[in-house]
Amino acid sequence: MADSHNGGFTPGPDGPGAEAPPLLMLSGIGKRFGGVRALGNASLTLTAGSVHVLLGENGAGKSTLINIIAGSFGPDGGTYCLDGQPVRGLTPQRARQAGISAVFQEFSLAPNLTVEENLFLGRERHRLGVLDRRAMRLRAQAVLDDLGFDISPRQRTGDLSRAHQQMVEIAKALMDPVKVLILDEPTASLTEAETERLFALVDRLRAEGVGIIYVSHRLREIIRLADRITVLRDGCTVTSIDAAGVTEDGLVELMTGRKMEALYPQIPHAPGDALLELSGLTLANRTVEDVSLIARAGEITGIAGLVGCGKSEVIRAVYGLETVSSGSIRLKGQAYSPSGPARALTAGVCYFPSDRVAEGLALGRPIRENASMAALDRQRGVVRRGQERSFIKATMDRLRLRPANIERAVGTLSGGNRQKVMLARGLTRPTQVFLFDEPTVGIDVGAKAEVYDFLRDLVRDGAAVVLVSSDLPEVLHLSNRLYVMHRGHIAAELTGADITEAQVLACFFQEDVA
Amino acid sequence: MSDQLSLRGMIPHLALPLALAVMLAGFSAVEPRSLSAGNLLNVLEQSSYLIVFTLAQTVVLLTRGFDLSVGMAASAVSVAAALAAVSFGGGAGVAVALLLAGGIGLVNGAVVALLRVNPFVATLGMLNICLGLSSTLSGGRPVTGVPDGLTTLFYSGAVLGVPAPVLIAALCTGGLALLLHRTVFGRSLYLTGGNPRAAEVAGVRVRLTLIGAYTLCALLAGLGAVMLTARTGSGEPSLGGSLTLESIAAAVIGGVSLRGGAGGVTGAVLGAVFVTALSNGMNLTRVDGNVQMIVLGVVVVAAVALDRFRGSR
Amino acid sequence: MSVHLPSHHPQPQQFSDRLMLAVAGIGLLPLLLVALVAVLALTEPRFLGAVNLLNILRTASVLAVVASGQMLVLIVGGFDLSVGAVVALSSTVGATAMAGVAASGASPALAVTAGCAAGLGAGAVVGLVNGLCVAVLKVSPFMVTLGTMSAASGVALLLTNGIPVYGLPDGFVSGFGRAVWLGLPSALVVSVVLLGAVAVMQRHTLAGPALRAVGGNLQAARVSGVAVRGWTVAAYVGCAVLASLTGLLLTARIGSGQASLGGLNMTMESIATAVIAGVSLRGGAGRVEMVALGAVFLAVISNAMNLSRVDSKAQLVVLGVILIAAVALDELGKRRRVRV
Repeated sequence: MADSHNGGFTPGPDGPGAEAPPLLMLSGIGKRFGGVRALGNASLTLTAGSVHVLLGENGAGKSTLINIIAGSFGPDGGTYCLDGQPVRGLTPQRARQAGISAVFQEFSLAPNLTVEENLFLGRERHRLGVLDRRAMRLRAQAVLDDLGFDISPRQRTGDLSRAHQQMVEIAKALMDPVKVLILDEPTASLTEAETERLFALVDRLRAEGVGIIYVSHRLREIIRLADRITVLRDGCTVTSIDAAGVTEDGLVELMTGRKMEALYPQIPHAPGDALLELSGLTLANRTVEDVSLIARAGEITGIAGLVGCGKSEVIRAVYGLETVSSGSIRLKGQAYSPSGPARALTAGVCYFPSDRVAEGLALGRPIRENASMAALDRQRGVVRRGQERSFIKATMDRLRLRPANIERAVGTLSGGNRQKVMLARGLTRPTQVFLFDEPTVGIDVGAKAEVYDFLRDLVRDGAAVVLVSSDLPEVLHLSNRLYVMHRGHIAAELTGADITEAQVLACFFQEDVA
Repeated sequence: MSDQLSLRGMIPHLALPLALAVMLAGFSAVEPRSLSAGNLLNVLEQSSYLIVFTLAQTVVLLTRGFDLSVGMAASAVSVAAALAAVSFGGGAGVAVALLLAGGIGLVNGAVVALLRVNPFVATLGMLNICLGLSSTLSGGRPVTGVPDGLTTLFYSGAVLGVPAPVLIAALCTGGLALLLHRTVFGRSLYLTGGNPRAAEVAGVRVRLTLIGAYTLCALLAGLGAVMLTARTGSGEPSLGGSLTLESIAAAVIGGVSLRGGAGGVTGAVLGAVFVTALSNGMNLTRVDGNVQMIVLGVVVVAAVALDRFRGSR
Repeated sequence: MSVHLPSHHPQPQQFSDRLMLAVAGIGLLPLLLVALVAVLALTEPRFLGAVNLLNILRTASVLAVVASGQMLVLIVGGFDLSVGAVVALSSTVGATAMAGVAASGASPALAVTAGCAAGLGAGAVVGLVNGLCVAVLKVSPFMVTLGTMSAASGVALLLTNGIPVYGLPDGFVSGFGRAVWLGLPSALVVSVVLLGAVAVMQRHTLAGPALRAVGGNLQAARVSGVAVRGWTVAAYVGCAVLASLTGLLLTARIGSGQASLGGLNMTMESIATAVIAGVSLRGGAGRVEMVALGAVFLAVISNAMNLSRVDSKAQLVVLGVILIAAVALDELGKRRRVRV
């Protein structure tokens, strides 16, 4: 069966003459959110029994596209055909009835429900509204067993680890017969062994004729799984190619539209005094254990690692957002005990959170207020509005905010501009240690380059910059020194020419080595 | 696009004065007296009490909070202040009022900010406590014999023909406007309400801000209670009955968002005037008191639905 | 290279931790209730008298039914300030209709049916308006129900001018409201049946997981195909219907329809009961058994204070403190759990 599908698949782009219509065909899809264009002209053709990788940088429109496929958003324009039939007014329910299931990064699980309740949410087995709990429990157990997931159906979903929640999410997508399965970074929180099991599952589904849309940044996975690759850049489909014979470098070039090196500025590192020294840092929640590291003035110190390895928690602890149980922190040579953001800011430490909506910005308030937020304590009780306005205006101009109106509500801005508002905070008060947590998540390529320029300027001015990122090329290219974290520990410290992808990946998956 | 934005931005500011004008025109068609200078001044004076309570509520609403206890706190403050004033004079009455109100607010703020109790529950509990306090202190009867000095100062007095309550409400309005827009505390109120987590991460003293907000709210309510006590010349345990809900309704009608971080003094004052004018007009046109309740209910829902509409833009 | 495997479920080692877990398993409320009853039984001889116990249960049953309705709304992440007004509305509308039909010479059975239908219908309409405003217009539940509270009590007062409505058929008052079934007051029996029905609904019907999913993660519920709006409306209607039933039960017991029944006080008590019973104000959690226990707990406390002649005003203060303490403890417990 898989063979026959592949037979119809390999000859290249499906022309009007292809015998069997492709499982899924999207063309010219556009989508705007408020003033922000998420998709301009996206196209995708999925054949049954194949794995179709959707490739693109953060903000390229991948998640918007898969949300449209799954019926969560309606497209503004373009055509959407399933089995050759045009589809309109798709809702998540209808998509599922049609056999389209999605596993998103943001979990579609209610944390207060049991695993079994979540698996059957919205399609409970019932007779006249009375639940058939026994049948559901048996089926839930059967599905979990079949997938090889060691999870009890009666557990409260919110109590599960992230990896286990991911498995429940996958199981939920496979409860009913599926034709199209969408997997959005499914391995982000899985261990190596769990990842292998997932790959086996993907292989099995492919053999059963399921069309799989697979979103991932991990080049290795893509090469392992993909039959076909569609590349999105700035909301448009750039190309769609056969996966046979692609290399990791080729993929990067496809994704960014330039050679890997061109995106990243040359950063002249001039390591000076150690401004931030951690030794034996262990957090109360055990996400970080016995971490020691140094960040020097005039260089970028990178921290790489998989999701959940504790890399964010390290810098959050320095900023006073996590509870430290043991270990010590020295700041500019002085002993320092973090007690909260206000104290950290006073000491010259500034943290830029990865989740800008939850932790960064008051979306309803103007840019001016958001940008000056971190420096309120320097105003001695009274806000001098004229001064504030001209200072923030100058700062935002320096960061090249467009349009330059600082009285607009932050909620109306694109991801890149929002990040610029965040960055402005680092310039509103004397700061020597900058802690960046995933600074380029959710922003477009242009803004990315501007963020990198900002980092370069900071380093040139003699600040210590700590860069935590899951974007591997980013930390590889920007860091002068790179720490790799694995399961709450520092797995390696790399400098200079040792900073290579192979080295880092070896540390990510060191479990097999040990 | 920015033109559109500013035009759209204007609508909320225009809607309420417009509604107010239409309403007054409607009432005057039925009852010409309602537009007389005497009655308008009357409405303004009546409004001044609700304005003070609405300003109080606004401070807390800005932080994404709530104060269900303002009304009952006002009752307790009224009774306590009257008792003190009867025994030790007007000055003592005012001092007791501010102390008690400050204490109530401090407890509310501490429970919300430090124990992280939902503001609804925290102030609901305080409502009960104040209710118990006021009825225990008063024995359920008004406390009479409030000294004339207090009445003159807070009710019957006038400066340049402006009645004392109007003057006090105006001072509160101006003071709060300055506080909200010109001080770090005011800015912190907006930021805390806009996104408490983000404000904390940016080093804003969120807990202190919350405690300050609830304390300021209670102090303003205490002032309002003294004004009402001066008006009736007695401490009234039943004073606060509907004040809480009216103050929330007025603030929300005036565009103060229940989702925090949006709204201001102007809207709050207009909202309070609107609610007062509505009931004044209905009184003059002899609308049944029960029908008035229904009308107020409908107006509240309509106002919030409109707010929601605005918010979704 | 050594690899540390972080254990996801650290074993509780200290006694205090184990105690915490045990308390978390059973819940604090039942333990407190048992302790309270034990102390009262030992120190206050009148407490265990049959009449006193029945009094407690009767008080508790009224509160429990209204609070279980409130719970439904809280589970979907909402709020209902109008329950007290709905109690008054159903009482006055029901009594007016019943007395009117009875006076027109129709059979008592018809009058009772018509009256109950009118009372329930009026309540259900309020619930429907609440639900639609919240689910469709996306208005804050607080403000919607504040508005409908004002409107509903306005209608109740308008209908009666504040005067009790008499002239209810005898079969409704002495035959039902004041009847004793199985040695228990009829209202108590009806309440238990209603609470049982809510419990069955939560456990064994679609409504259980659907309501909790709406309150627990609205987006997830929507994506999973749960009819989010429908269930939100249903919760508000269910809440209003339970409040209306309470209004009718009270009407039957008192023998007249009164606009003073229920009121804001009952609303506040219903919220307090639900919160003490561990129903989350953030939505997604709440069990009717616990709500019933919460109602009994509050009734026992108020009874104990009555018996020991605690001033009724001081009782209010106690209720306020209990409410805040309950939520504060809950928050503390959550923070503790997060740290583990």
